[in-house]
Amino acid sequence: MEQELRKEAKKLLEDGKVDYIVGFAAGTLKFSTTPLITRDKEEVASLVINPFIVNNLAKFLTQLPGRVGIVAKGCDSRSIVSLIQDNQVTRDNLVIIGVPCSGLIDMVKVEKLVDRDRDEIDNIAIKGETVAVVISKETMELPIEKVLFDNCLDCKHPSAQEYDTFIGEPNDTICVRGTGEDKIKELEGMTSEERWEFWRTQFSRCIKCYACRQACPACFCERCFVEESEPKWVLPLPKWQDNLIFQVIRNIHVAGRCTDCGACERVCPVNIPLRSLTKKMCGLVSEMFSYEAGMDKNAPPLMTAYEYEEAKDLIR
Amino acid sequence: MTIKKISKKDMVKLLADWGLDSTVLIPSRDEGVIEMAEWDGKDISFLEWYRNTVIPPKSSFLPPMEEMFTFQKNGNGYSIEVSAEQRKRIIFGIRPCDAKAIAILDKVFMDSCEDPYYVSKRKNTMLIGLGCNKPYDSCFCTSSGLSPTESADVDLMFTDIGDDFLIEEITDEGEELLATAGAVKKASQADVASLKKARAAVEGMVTRKVDTKNIIEKLQASFGDSDYWEKAADKCISCGVCTLLCPTCYCFDICDELTKKHGARYRGWDSCGFSIYTKMPMENPREEKWRRVRQKVCHKYEFFPMNYGVIACTGCGRCIRSCPVNWDITHVLGSVPVEQPIKNR
Repeated sequence: MEQELRKEAKKLLEDGKVDYIVGFAAGTLKFSTTPLITRDKEEVASLVINPFIVNNLAKFLTQLPGRVGIVAKGCDSRSIVSLIQDNQVTRDNLVIIGVPCSGLIDMVKVEKLVDRDRDEIDNIAIKGETVAVVISKETMELPIEKVLFDNCLDCKHPSAQEYDTFIGEPNDTICVRGTGEDKIKELEGMTSEERWEFWRTQFSRCIKCYACRQACPACFCERCFVEESEPKWVLPLPKWQDNLIFQVIRNIHVAGRCTDCGACERVCPVNIPLRSLTKKMCGLVSEMFSYEAGMDKNAPPLMTAYEYEEAKDLIR
Repeated sequence: MTIKKISKKDMVKLLADWGLDSTVLIPSRDEGVIEMAEWDGKDISFLEWYRNTVIPPKSSFLPPMEEMFTFQKNGNGYSIEVSAEQRKRIIFGIRPCDAKAIAILDKVFMDSCEDPYYVSKRKNTMLIGLGCNKPYDSCFCTSSGLSPTESADVDLMFTDIGDDFLIEEITDEGEELLATAGAVKKASQADVASLKKARAAVEGMVTRKVDTKNIIEKLQASFGDSDYWEKAADKCISCGVCTLLCPTCYCFDICDELTKKHGARYRGWDSCGFSIYTKMPMENPREEKWRRVRQKVCHKYEFFPMNYGVIACTGCGRCIRSCPVNWDITHVLGSVPVEQPIKNR
C-alpha cells in the first residue's frame, strides 16, 4: 500500500498536478510518525501508512499556497470537506489521496496496559482483533478494543469520504466497537457536583499550550477569541476556570465542524480528556440537527444555515 | 568530598526527617502526568517507575501561573499586598539535565537581575539530584556537555547502585542536610567502584546525539536562509508544548484580573511559538511561523550562549517526547546549513 501511495504522490508532483504533497513519514521516536510536507518528488519515497498516523493533516491545508495533494484517512477527509464548506480551502486546489484506516493505536493505552514506556517496547503489530506487543522477546496479546483511540472505537467512517484517488480498498464497517463513549457515559452518570469537580481537577492541569486548538483543523480563525484583549473574554494564563471556559467556547465554535478525529485530546501534554467534551458536542449536533460534520461538501456550514422547523425546539 | 550511602529501605526515614522542617517535593504521577509535587510522607514508589517529569521542575520556581500581588480600593487610593513564597522546600529526584536548567534560569532571574518572586523560592529550596537509570530515547544530554548521572548544580547527588544510593555532597548546605540524618553511612571503596560502573553504563544509554560544535557560527550563517527555516518549520503547528515544557524556557506574560473594588496581578508561562507573542500595534516582526521557529532554536543555541556563555538546552528531550507532530530539534540542529549567504533577515 505504501509503495502505491509513494508512486501516486510522485506522479502527482511530476505531472505538475500538485505543488505540495502532505502525508506522513516515519517519526524520530519509536511508534511515531511525523507530517511530511514536501515539493520534492524524491522525498515522497518516505511516505508511510501505519496505525500511528495520528495527526489530522487537514490542519496544514489553510497554510499552504497552490495545489496540494493530501493523504486522508476518514476523519481527515471529513475535516477537509468541512474546510471546503467553510470556504477555507478550494476543492479544485486539492487532490485527495484517500487511504483506508482500521483504527489508530493509542500509545498511552498501550503504555498503561504493558506498564512500560513507548521506548521500552520493541514491536507492536495488529493481527486481526488482537495487538501483539513485544517487549524483550516476550509477546503480549492485547485485545484491539483496549488499545485503539476512543474516537477510533466509535468511528463510522474510517475510510476517506471524499477523494480523487484511493490507495487500497475503502472499508466502512470495520471500526465501530461501541466502547468509545464509555468515558462520556461515566460522566453522564455523575451528579452535576461530581462532574464539576471532575472538570475542575482536569482543567487544573492545563498549561495553556493551545496544542488542542493548534492541532484542530476546525480551529481556523486567524485570531482566536482568547487572544482578544478588548474585551478580554478569558485570562491568557492557565487559571482552571478560564481553561474550562476556553474549551467550552472552543466546543461551541467547532460545533458542526468537529469530525471527532480526536486530535485535540491526543496532543494534550497533560492528558485532559478533551474528547469527552467534543464527542458529547457531536452527539448534541446529531440529536438537534441530524447533522454529521464533513459529509457533504455542498451543504452550507451547520451554524450558518437555518431551517424553519428548528425554531420549535431551539428558540423558546 | 566524602561519598556517603543510604539503603533504599531507609529512604522514607530520610525524606521524613527532611520533612520535619521543609516541604518535600518528589516526582508524582497524576493521570499519567509526572511532576514534582508535595510528598505524602509515605509513598516512595516513584523510585520504581520514575524516569523524568513531564512538567519540568522550573514550575517550582517559575509556576505556570502565580499571583504577584493583590490590590484593593480604599477610599481614593489602593492598597497593595505582595505575594511571597517563603516555605523551605527540598526537591528530591531532580535529574542532572533539569538541575542544569535551574542553574541556567538562575543566570536570568538571580544574576543579571533579581526577580523577587524567583529568588524567594530559589533561596529557600534545596535541590537533591538523582542520577538517571534509564534515559529516554529522546534524551540527548551528553550532546549538551552533561552527564545523565553527574551534576554540580544540586546540593546533594544521589546515584542508584542497586540496594543503596550513593550520595555526593556537592554544597555545604547539602552536607548539613546529611549531618543529622541517622540512616546515612560512609561509603566503602567497593561502593565507589560500583558508582563508576553504574555511571558508565547509563552514559552509554544516551544514544541520541547532536553535533553542537560551532553551532553559534552555523546559526549565524544560516540566519538569513529563509528557505531552510521555512522547510524546518513547515510541520510545526505553533502550539506552546515545546517551549512551555522546556526546562530552560522562561518567557512569561503578565495580566490583571479585576473586579470593581479589588483585583490581582498574575504572571505565567508564555511562548515565543505563539504568533501574538511579538504582536505590536503596528506590526508583528515574527508573524510567519518560520521566524518563530528560528527564534526558538537561535535563542537556545546562539543568543543565550552569546549572552550568558552557556547553551540554553540541556538535552532533556521533552520537546521531542511531547511534540504533537514530532518536530525534532536534534534533526533541525543537525541539518543547519554550514555556509549560506545572508539574504533575508
